[in-house]
Amino acid sequence: MKREVATEIVDSLKEAGVDFVASLTEANLHDLVMALGEDKAIHHVPVTREEEGIGICAGAYLGGKKPAMVMMNAGFLLSTNALATVCIHPGIPVLMLIGHSGGVGEENAGHATVGALTEPVLQAMHIVYEKVGCFEQIRPTIRDSQMLARSSRRPTAIVLNKQALR
Amino acid sequence: MKRYDCLRAIAPHFGEELVITNLGAVRHEWQALRPHHGNYHLQNLGLTSSMALGLALALPHRKIVAFDGDGSLLLNLGSLATIANQHPKNLIHVVFDNECYESSRGAPTATAGQADLAAVAHGCGFANVITAMTVAEFEKGFLQAFNDKDLYFILAKVEAGAGDVPAAALDSQENKYLFVRYIEKSENLKILTSTLSRASESRSR
Repeated sequence: MKREVATEIVDSLKEAGVDFVASLTEANLHDLVMALGEDKAIHHVPVTREEEGIGICAGAYLGGKKPAMVMMNAGFLLSTNALATVCIHPGIPVLMLIGHSGGVGEENAGHATVGALTEPVLQAMHIVYEKVGCFEQIRPTIRDSQMLARSSRRPTAIVLNKQALR
Repeated sequence: MKRYDCLRAIAPHFGEELVITNLGAVRHEWQALRPHHGNYHLQNLGLTSSMALGLALALPHRKIVAFDGDGSLLLNLGSLATIANQHPKNLIHVVFDNECYESSRGAPTATAGQADLAAVAHGCGFANVITAMTVAEFEKGFLQAFNDKDLYFILAKVEAGAGDVPAAALDSQENKYLFVRYIEKSENLKILTSTLSRASESRSR
C-alpha cells in the first residue's frame, strides 16, 4: 500500500466519524496500521488476534465510540463467531476494512482458498459489503458503509482488493 | 470459596460502575445481587476481557469491572497482552477460576493442570496482580482495586458451583438497548442514530 492510500483511508475514516480502530497488521496493511498509530484523532488498538478486535470494537461502541476493525480476510474468517455473538446477535455495529488476500491480482497460490471463501462467508452472515478496487472509491465507500453500520446497528464490510492496496 | 460468596461480598459497594459478565452462571448471580442497567451480559465465551477493554478505553472516567472465567480467558489469552499495553487505569479484570468448564458439565480446564493465569497476566505486563484463595482475601483485594486508579488483574480461585438465584430475564437485544440507553443518559451521549420522517422536512420549510 502506498502511503497516500493509507492517508486517504485514515482521512476517510475520520470524515465518516470513526474515532476508534482495532487492527491486526499484514504486509499489505502495514502503511495503514502505521498511519493509524500516528493519528491523534483515532484511538488505535493493535490486537493479537482479530476476534479480540471485534470484542474491543463492540465494547467501545457501547461506550459511545465509533469503531472500525482493520484486518485481512483470514482474520475476518477467524472472527465469524465473534461477529455473530457479539455484534449481529445483540445489534452492535462495527465497520470492517478487510484486505482481500487471494482475490483478483493475487500472485500467491497459498491464499486462493481463503480468497475464494471471503465473499460467500460475508453473504452467509448477511453482512452488507462493498468491494473497493481503486483509490477514488475509498472515501465514498467508507462514508456509506459507516452510515449503514450505524443506522442498521449491524457490522458492515469493505473488501479492499490488491489493486486498492498497492 | 464460592464465586457467589465473592460477588455477594462486593456487590454492596457498587454504585454507577459498569460491569461486563462472562457466559454462564455468573451473569445470573450478578444480576440477582446487583440489578442495574450498567450490567452487560456477554453472549460469547472468550471476549469478556476484550469487551471490557473497549468500554474502558471509551469511558476512561468510569470504573469498568469484568467478571471473567478461566475457560473464557483461556480462549483469549492474547487479550491480556493487549490490555496491559493499553493500560486503562479504570479497568478491573476479575477471573473466577474454578478449573473447569462448569456450564459445559465440568470437564477440567488447563488451570486444573499447570496453567497459572495470574502468572500469565504478570508476564503480559500487568503490574497489579492479586490472587485470592478466600472470600476475605478477595474482598480486600477487590476493594483495593476498586478504590485505586489503576489497572488490576484479580484471580479468584473458586470451587465449582452456582448460587441459588433465579434466571436473569434479560436477553441480548434487550440488554444492549437498556445498557446503551443508560450510557446515553448518564454520559449525555448519542449512540443510537435516529432519523426524522420526511414529513418533518416539508413542515420545517
